[in-house]
Amino acid sequence: MVKRKLGALEKVEADLPNLQHKIRRDPKSYIEDFRAQHYQYESHREIFMAAPSSATDTGIISLRELIDFIAHVADCYPEITKDFPQQLMDILTQHHLILQAELREKIVGSLVLLRKKELLDSATLLQTLFPILISTPSKTLRALLFQKILMDLRSSNAKSTNHKLNRTMQTVLYNLVTSDRTSSKGLWAIKLTRELWKRQIWTDAKAVEVMKEASLATNEKVIVGGIRFFLGGDKEREEMEDESSDEEAIDMGRVKHIVGINKKTKKKARAVEKARATVKRRERKKNQPHPLNFSALHLLHDPQGYAESLFSKHLQSTKSKLNLDQKLLVLQLVTRLVGLHKLHIMHLYSYFQKYLTPRQPSVTSFLASLAQASHDLVPPDDLEPLVQKIANEFVSEASAAEVASAGLNAIREICARQPLAMNETLLQDLVMYRKSKDKGVVMAARGLLSLFRELNPEWLKRRDRGKEASMGLRSGDKKEKRFAEQAAGGIEGIELLEQWKEEERRKKRAEKGLASDAEDDDEEDEEDNWDAWNVEEDEDSDDSDGWIQVQSDAEIELSDSDDDDEDSKRPKKKAKSDEETAAETAAEATTEASKAQKELDQKLSLAATRILTPADLAKLQELRTEAAVNALAGVKGRQSASNRHHDDPLTAEEIEGLAALSAGKATREERIAHAKEGKTDRADHKSVTAKRKEKKDAQGKSTTNKEKARKKNFLMTLGKAKSKNKRSLVQTRAVLKAHQERAKRGGRRGNTGN
Amino acid sequence: MGSSSKKKKEKQKDFQKAKLKVGKTKAKPDNFTDTSFKAKSITLTQQSLTLNAPTTTTQFTHHVSLLGSKSDAQRRDSLAHLTTHLTHSRPGNAPLPQPVSTLLPTLAPLILDGSTGVRTQLLRLLRALPPRDVEDHVAQLLPFIRAGMTHLAADIRVTAVEVLAWLVEVAGREVVGCAGGWIKTLNCFLSVLGWHTEESSKWSASRAAFGKSGTAGRPVVKVLGVLAEFLEVGIGAVAGEGGGGDVVMEEGAGRTAGAAVGNWEFPLAQVEAHMVPQTAQPYVYLNLFGQPRDEEGEMYETREDRFRVFAARFLKAVERGVESARQDGGEVGRASSAVNKVLKEALGYARGAGLEV
Repeated sequence: MVKRKLGALEKVEADLPNLQHKIRRDPKSYIEDFRAQHYQYESHREIFMAAPSSATDTGIISLRELIDFIAHVADCYPEITKDFPQQLMDILTQHHLILQAELREKIVGSLVLLRKKELLDSATLLQTLFPILISTPSKTLRALLFQKILMDLRSSNAKSTNHKLNRTMQTVLYNLVTSDRTSSKGLWAIKLTRELWKRQIWTDAKAVEVMKEASLATNEKVIVGGIRFFLGGDKEREEMEDESSDEEAIDMGRVKHIVGINKKTKKKARAVEKARATVKRRERKKNQPHPLNFSALHLLHDPQGYAESLFSKHLQSTKSKLNLDQKLLVLQLVTRLVGLHKLHIMHLYSYFQKYLTPRQPSVTSFLASLAQASHDLVPPDDLEPLVQKIANEFVSEASAAEVASAGLNAIREICARQPLAMNETLLQDLVMYRKSKDKGVVMAARGLLSLFRELNPEWLKRRDRGKEASMGLRSGDKKEKRFAEQAAGGIEGIELLEQWKEEERRKKRAEKGLASDAEDDDEEDEEDNWDAWNVEEDEDSDDSDGWIQVQSDAEIELSDSDDDDEDSKRPKKKAKSDEETAAETAAEATTEASKAQKELDQKLSLAATRILTPADLAKLQELRTEAAVNALAGVKGRQSASNRHHDDPLTAEEIEGLAALSAGKATREERIAHAKEGKTDRADHKSVTAKRKEKKDAQGKSTTNKEKARKKNFLMTLGKAKSKNKRSLVQTRAVLKAHQERAKRGGRRGNTGN
Repeated sequence: MGSSSKKKKEKQKDFQKAKLKVGKTKAKPDNFTDTSFKAKSITLTQQSLTLNAPTTTTQFTHHVSLLGSKSDAQRRDSLAHLTTHLTHSRPGNAPLPQPVSTLLPTLAPLILDGSTGVRTQLLRLLRALPPRDVEDHVAQLLPFIRAGMTHLAADIRVTAVEVLAWLVEVAGREVVGCAGGWIKTLNCFLSVLGWHTEESSKWSASRAAFGKSGTAGRPVVKVLGVLAEFLEVGIGAVAGEGGGGDVVMEEGAGRTAGAAVGNWEFPLAQVEAHMVPQTAQPYVYLNLFGQPRDEEGEMYETREDRFRVFAARFLKAVERGVESARQDGGEVGRASSAVNKVLKEALGYARGAGLEV
């Protein structure tokens, strides 16, 4: 619609924004005007309420503008406008279906504005908006309401957590999900909860409870929403946190430098202030203790019951309408719960039986789920037939290479969690696949081999055991773990600390010129320790403050595939008869065992004899990270099973593993693309000067006078060049003199401090 | 040599015929002008091909529909047409082509129209409407008038007051007696005059003259006049027509009113008070179907009710305002005397009736 043009004469003054501006500056003087406009609003509201559906724009001022106006200045006249919020809410709740879109949005916006001005409390606002959100058919209104509700929840939780509001809102959401399990309205509860979870506004069990109920609903969308939250919500939250933490690092020095050079304006001063505040805030944030964020899976009240009901309701029951993808999601969640909380669901393993064939769509996901579902408290009797079936169906020379490698990987993952699911003959059979022609299969088989070298080398053939495993076997380190056997706990990394202390002591003694091995009088040491109670006082006690040492020549321990090939190729004469070796190992085992016992005692000794000071603990933490970094640097990019956090899910990609290797020869294009992958763009080859210049440009630095002179338009320089030739001697002298003077002063502006 | 042959060729070119080929369109001549055009719609100047002229009724309906037009001139002309139709071309007591109940919803928003011409024309049209028909639709009209009275634009305020004057003249009893008609309208009056608070009614107060105030003293005079009329109808002395249909409980008034109905035999007295009222919506005060009303939106049907509310809420402000207007002197002072007179009458009457003031 084209806006009607008004002639100058017929223009009437109805300038609400102007009045609003004046009221803001001087509310008292304009109270009469405001009162008049309030009556005006009342009359318009009356007209509107008499016929809400047929309301048209009346005259030059509409109800919408009046509402906007009053909402903006309502805080100046709280007495006159005390009913205003309630009236808006009434209009919205009663007539939101027939209201014009613009008016509707204006009312919502005004309510939020009133909330910001503290004329309305959050609970009332949310109680008004939320029912409309779930009932309105208008998509735009829903989007608007969702955004506003979210914003309000965020802002009311910004300074400190508003527990009361959160609790009410969570209860509303919980009721929404549980009241009608067939309706899709629960989606709003899911959306809201997920968003707030992502932003770490809701991190408590109640929010998780809402999602739990959602995933047990009957509506497919709601179910999937709930399941996806458990599978991906925490990761999303972490990513969000990372994003917000490394937004843009502000270089305070640079900011100050720029301000020192450029023109000083208020705007720039403000920018500096802002940057300073941001830096300060980040500093403070950095020093704050890390908030305890339990993942949603840990906050579940009754994981066993939840997993069971998920399994029976969505997977086992024949009435469930979920399709395969959705079922897979449910299965992933169930198995993750099982693996994480070490649950036992009776029929879960037999349920898998049906799906473990190579022809099953997305079978790798099933395999991953199965591996996830196995833990060391699962009876081996349950798992053994499954492993057998995988071996039979997937791993054979006749099957495709990808299939075989996926099967081997799955078996490895299962056995990593429950080694007793394997038996000796099968293992030896499977290990033989490392002689396969296909690389993917070879790698998978080697993975299985190296796993069992750690877990139970006795089941391997002697020539497959490798050096370390045989030595461990002889010393008695590598023993078969019995069912449900738990390792004795200790302090992680305590041996590192002990080692470090020993080294320190040795250094000290070396300085003093004493024998490094001799016993030291402990008292001095003790004193040091007691000094170390206060970490803040002697911050320089740890010499590498905040730095982590990475050994430059860390030995890279690749998987021992090469040497073990050598092992197997070694002349047979070295192999002795089995009885002989057994006797030998037994004899050696006893001695080694006693040694190990001693070592263990020593390890414990530090923790048992001494109270660890905060300085010790800080050092311990440092050593631990150092060790972790060293380990990472050693094993490049390979994530072994022990490195994986036990919360992390196992994905189908990991089961598929290096199947890409067995996919056959790559085409030429693929090879070219692969070669190009790591390389930088050709355009990046530039001269050093050009690169520097670019960097300077990017940093927003100005050009030097030289550069300016070089860039100057040729035609502009012509005049001066011509006139130079025509100068008289006197003129030339004057110019030269002036130049000399200027050079002394230090340029046109001078640098003599005036 | 070369150039001359080139010139020759160019000269020759003008006389060469273009060859026609089968299956190809003919080449356009040099002086060809493209006359084709594109348009979203094509308006024909004579659309109607009927020979009969439209009846007056259809013309009337057509012009009613044109009242919502975007163009000022169109709205004004339509209003003028409707007015002439109502005043001149309607024989005697013939019914309107469209009843007032359908006319008013389209007319009422025009009170807030931005164009002055439209509003003056509207006033003329309203005056041409048959008064008896308007009475029943007062409650519908009043919100628009009140919105106009508090409008930011001074001209619209003046128009709204004029419309109110007409309405009070035509259906005074309904105006003061309908839902919200008393308190809300009085509020608007006070707001127009700026009499709400003590300091704002002082002459020295910075009367926040926001927006164009129109011609200086004139609007105030007009508003004061209308206020006097309004108060007269609402709480003025009961006389003749003013108290005619009111539910009046006094004996004397009952007798005069009763005279119109008929003389009743001795045992029957004040019969009309017990009979079904003769208004169009007799039970509207029960408010069976509407929103629940608050104090401001309530109906104050009897004089006593109105006076009580007036005394409690407005009397002080109005007295103060009238006093300051009197002190202003001139035309305004003279206009204020009319209000003053009504006030005095009402007070005297109230004291006589034993109401506390």
